[in-house]
Amino acid sequence: MTATATPPVTDRRAPAAAPRRRKYDAERLFNRVALGALVAFALLWLVPLVWALATSIRPAQEVITDPTSWFTAHPTLAAYEDIFAAGKLPYWYANSFITSVLTTVLTVVAASLAAFALSQTRFRARRAAFVLLLAGIMIPGQVLMIPQFLALQAAGLLNTYWGVVLPQVPNVVAVFVFKQFFDGIPRELIDAARADGASWLRTYRQIVMPLSRPVVSAVTIFVFVGVWNNFLWPLLVVTDPEMMTLPVGLTSVQDVFGVPYAQLMASAVLGAIPLVTVFLLFQRRIVEGIAGTGLK
Amino acid sequence: MRDRTPHPSPPAPSRRRLLRGTLSLGAAAASAAVLGGCDSTLAQGFTGGAPTASRLNFWNPFTGGDGERLLAMQAAYRSRHRATDLKSATFVWGSPYYTKLTLATLGDRPPQVAISHLSKVPTLAEAGLLTELRPSDLARHGLTEDKFDARPWKKSQLDGKLFAIPLDTHPFVLYFRTDIAEKAGLLDREGKLADVDGPDAFIDALRAAKEVTGAWGGSVASVKDASTQFRLFWSFYRQIGGGDLVADQGKKVVIDTEAAAEALAYIRRLTQEKVVPTTTDGPGAITMLTTGKAGFLMDGVWQVLTVQGSKVKFDMRPLPRIFDDAPYACAADSHSLVFPKAPSASAQRLDLSLGFVASLLGSSKLWAEGGHIPAWLPTQRSREYRELVPQSHYAAAADGAAYDPAAWYGGAGSTMQTVVGDVVTSVFTGATGATAGAARMRSELRELASRPAPL
Amino acid sequence: MATTTAPTEARGRGDRWAGPGMLLPFSLFYLLFLVGPLVYTVVAGFFDTSLLTSGLGDFAGLSNYTAVLSDDEFWRTLRNTLWFTVLTTVPLVLLSLVLAILADRFVRGRWFFRFAFFAPFVLPSAVVALLFTFIYADQVGLAHEVTTWFGVDTPPSWLGDPDWAMISIAAATVWWTLGFNFVLYLAGLQDIPRSVHEAAAIDGAGPWQRIRHVVVPMLGRTTTLVTVLQVVASLKVFDQIYMLTMGGPDGSTRSSLQLIYDTGFVEGRVGYASTVSLLLFVVILLVSLVWFALVRRAEKER
Repeated sequence: MTATATPPVTDRRAPAAAPRRRKYDAERLFNRVALGALVAFALLWLVPLVWALATSIRPAQEVITDPTSWFTAHPTLAAYEDIFAAGKLPYWYANSFITSVLTTVLTVVAASLAAFALSQTRFRARRAAFVLLLAGIMIPGQVLMIPQFLALQAAGLLNTYWGVVLPQVPNVVAVFVFKQFFDGIPRELIDAARADGASWLRTYRQIVMPLSRPVVSAVTIFVFVGVWNNFLWPLLVVTDPEMMTLPVGLTSVQDVFGVPYAQLMASAVLGAIPLVTVFLLFQRRIVEGIAGTGLK
Repeated sequence: MRDRTPHPSPPAPSRRRLLRGTLSLGAAAASAAVLGGCDSTLAQGFTGGAPTASRLNFWNPFTGGDGERLLAMQAAYRSRHRATDLKSATFVWGSPYYTKLTLATLGDRPPQVAISHLSKVPTLAEAGLLTELRPSDLARHGLTEDKFDARPWKKSQLDGKLFAIPLDTHPFVLYFRTDIAEKAGLLDREGKLADVDGPDAFIDALRAAKEVTGAWGGSVASVKDASTQFRLFWSFYRQIGGGDLVADQGKKVVIDTEAAAEALAYIRRLTQEKVVPTTTDGPGAITMLTTGKAGFLMDGVWQVLTVQGSKVKFDMRPLPRIFDDAPYACAADSHSLVFPKAPSASAQRLDLSLGFVASLLGSSKLWAEGGHIPAWLPTQRSREYRELVPQSHYAAAADGAAYDPAAWYGGAGSTMQTVVGDVVTSVFTGATGATAGAARMRSELRELASRPAPL
Repeated sequence: MATTTAPTEARGRGDRWAGPGMLLPFSLFYLLFLVGPLVYTVVAGFFDTSLLTSGLGDFAGLSNYTAVLSDDEFWRTLRNTLWFTVLTTVPLVLLSLVLAILADRFVRGRWFFRFAFFAPFVLPSAVVALLFTFIYADQVGLAHEVTTWFGVDTPPSWLGDPDWAMISIAAATVWWTLGFNFVLYLAGLQDIPRSVHEAAAIDGAGPWQRIRHVVVPMLGRTTTLVTVLQVVASLKVFDQIYMLTMGGPDGSTRSSLQLIYDTGFVEGRVGYASTVSLLLFVVILLVSLVWFALVRRAEKER
């Protein structure tokens, strides 16, 4: 997985071995067309986001009389104020943050420990355990929502963070990604530590994990994004409006005034802000993380 | 494997600092919410503990005009009960609302008080999700049987036990623009709508209005609105004397396909004669009335504030009596207040909850302004209500109120409304014939009835 | 993988249990939340289990299976799901392939393309649903506006017309998730050695020939991966449909997963919903197995 990534510094626009004029022209023409098509698609792809932003700052009355306009002479944050006035939004942000962090931490710890055991230690049922775990890749979690719900109900964990977090922890893909990375760690390094008398747990903590920063960040990113954006599961386990995560709260709880479009778009913008901001800051790493783990 | 030199990464420290900054910002925001908020909601997220005793959670599916009225009613309660921390939550109407209510009750975190349609009360009660209400408890708060409209009160019971406190009756009615009706010559000397009863009379009236508007005679929601289509069908079907659709709590299908076909044929006539448009969604149907593209609108009473807000001249009356084979009927339901079964008596806060209910009922006048016919007789019989226009003009419709068929898959926003409503839409738009539609309705209902009830 | 270990016997007895011990936390989660529920799903399929009463309920034998398999609604939701899968997979694979190949030609400005295409992917489904509720709104939405601008007098109700609703949802989904495949393809393109391009250029191949005969074939593995991930994801579609149409109009967009949700949680018929779950699981399993077989074969060929 580590082979993915990093954009090239080289520029292919003018291949070194293309002396003939005609070929050069063909290359240039192709590049122009390609660029045109790309830009057109990229702009098209930005339309929904820009439109949401533009609509969200228009006065509600103006949106009713002229729903599809990109501009307003009277920009206002009224729609945002209305949403904040309803008072639940800070809870939703906090809940999403808490559940995403908890799940990510638990997943990274549990999955890396398991991957380390499978990759480096030797015990009798190791291969069988690995095959059994790997088979889990094929179990689509959503299909199991009913028994998962019943289990949490029996445990009295509905409407708690644990109810949102725990069922999302067994992420087989994370184990798989960690194991692939650990398999590449030089054996001598671990043997040396063991020879020094370090326990397995200490070897894991002090030798392996510090080496594993890139894979930890990749797994962190894809688990975090997945949990933050999960909709179906929190929709089921959280019914208390103040315990809801951002995606569930934004779509389940309504303002008593109904939903004027300006406010609808403001909700969309507020829901988009956290991850889009993080994405803007760490574009390359996130893209590599997600592409690297391959599965999502 | 790769023969390119990797791109040197941009200065890492600044990025890492940014990452750290973002994370700590998030953490700070979260902890500020934990510490700053005077309630311990987030802590409960970890412990699953119950909220404080002065807290009263109230759930409802009210948006639009209903939501506005409710806010006023809650404000009235809050001003008199400052010690109570009333938290009201509004959810998406229909099956998402009832699913949430069910899951919350199963999860031992239901609201103390919730709105439920009376058409859903038997199903919820039978599933053991509602607290039985004792008349003696109600009496402590002045809520006695003699103060409630008899129809919804009766509907609030299951096997003689009371599970809900009715708030209103809300029938499916007819809105009309008085200015358009006048130009079309449809008003009598007193300014009342002249005879629109009978299959031909109603279509003639719509056609007359169409000549005035130049667009359509009337409108009714048909796109993304199976419930409205169900109400349209159910009203006519009952007027024809079709009786029930299902019996025995939904286990048996007793639909009268002849009556259903007749009702469907009439519904198709509305679009076939081009007096009603085939594809309009809920808001669109209202806009047609308020912008003068239609003279009539068939919709629920709860749209009255929206129509009033447009400042056009209009009036309302009960849905016309198209067929006279059976006593007058129009689709209707009632909102009621229920107490979802709480994990403990202290979590239920019975008297706090009943006090809140009594306060809402006391504000019935406010609720009536939103279109609903109050179930609270002290308001329904008051002079103030009788002088409320156009609300009092359709109060008679309550006597013909036809509730949804009783079945575990029936009621407001239910599978039955969706399934039956979808068939009606299909006939309404001309995709299916009336007879075929009635047959499809029967087979779909049979399919529903054959499923083992989860109760 | 190292085949020989250097067992240092000197360390204590606890050492033998280090491996299993480190495996334990994950295994517990795995058993509790994946294996256990899977077993429960299999068992509940043979009972008339209800959400509203405790316990498994009455033994039902195979009646849930006969009921599901003879239920038109089961087949219709499965057809809807497959239709959605086709509608999304084809453009999501082809369009992302084309865009990635084109974007790979430019170094400057690549961050812009990556942002434009990938940013929607980090949005929660709820936000996507909010956006497209307005875009597809009747009379006032952007889609309506654009189609009338192109001269269509009465555009269909995008989410209200049974013939169009699924297509509209698929288009929204393409917008939302294209970036993921785009990024996977970009990563795949990085793995093509530059020498291959140069050799082809020296042979006199123009840009178009190079793409068709060199780049696309070399991306075969990525295409398999992208396609299978896409198919599996599409088979599990729920969020955007639930929020945009609730499965309507006239059930034309109801997916298999929504059938499970509706029968299980809205109607409370857990036994029946478990049966549907298991059947959907089998469908997804078959797709995954086909993938593994393909990957195996591809790896042997290498």
